Amino acid sequence: MKYMLMMNTPRDGYAKYLSWPKQLIAANTDFMHAFARKLAGAGELVSAMGLASPVQAKLVRAGDDGQPVTDGVFPETKEFLAGYWIVQVENAARAYEIAAEASTAPGMGDSPLVIEVREVMSAPP
Amino acid sequence: MKYILMMQFPLGDWKTKSIEAWPPQDVKAHMDFLRRFNKELNDAGEFVRTEGLGGPEQMKIVRAGKDGSPAVTDGPFPESKEVLAGYWIIDVETPQRAIELAARASAAPGPGGVPLNMPIEVRPVMMSSASGEI
Repeated sequence: MKYMLMMNTPRDGYAKYLSWPKQLIAANTDFMHAFARKLAGAGELVSAMGLASPVQAKLVRAGDDGQPVTDGVFPETKEFLAGYWIVQVENAARAYEIAAEASTAPGMGDSPLVIEVREVMSAPP
Repeated sequence: MKYILMMQFPLGDWKTKSIEAWPPQDVKAHMDFLRRFNKELNDAGEFVRTEGLGGPEQMKIVRAGKDGSPAVTDGPFPESKEVLAGYWIIDVETPQRAIELAARASAAPGPGGVPLNMPIEVRPVMMSSASGEI
């Protein structure tokens, strides 16, 4: 079974991250690298992605003529996807264990890292 | 340059308007569109991966307890307005191309075969890994 583990961030989350002490950013980055290597070593990592700041996000839809109409992101959105892991595991409990480990990533301790866990459906080939 | 195209769906409309509530022939037309779109991306060398996600009723929020064990609650977050229904990772030459492809995805057929013209959130990917080496 495949699960997506998502890390969300508030709109100002990236700016806050960049204001962390250098050694804390290094500890966070080291944790993320070690975590990805461990999952890959266990054969559980399908894909991991880190996304750029939501400041760079665009909302796009097709107009009536099919051409792109571009907007800023949803103004009411409070949480943005910062990054995610796709894991291949035997059951949901294992996905939750991995999410809990991701949740222990070093940070400022002011807002604990919560991870949203979603099952991945089979995509069209 | 890698981009993520995210299909964000209004959470309040999930039960009545998501694909789970469509007639079978409309679901088929939508899936046929996605297959064609994915094949075109693949043939153009722009495809990295795509995934569709389970509905919000299956969503869980996980954090580590004091001892590191998972504390699991039902999602979504109470303040959430949208839910991610699925996404593509694409690898393209320019931001403009990412926006063109997002508009194509946006026009996927919905109920009655009418283009959904759904909003697609487009974000650059900073780093990616399938090997554990970021």
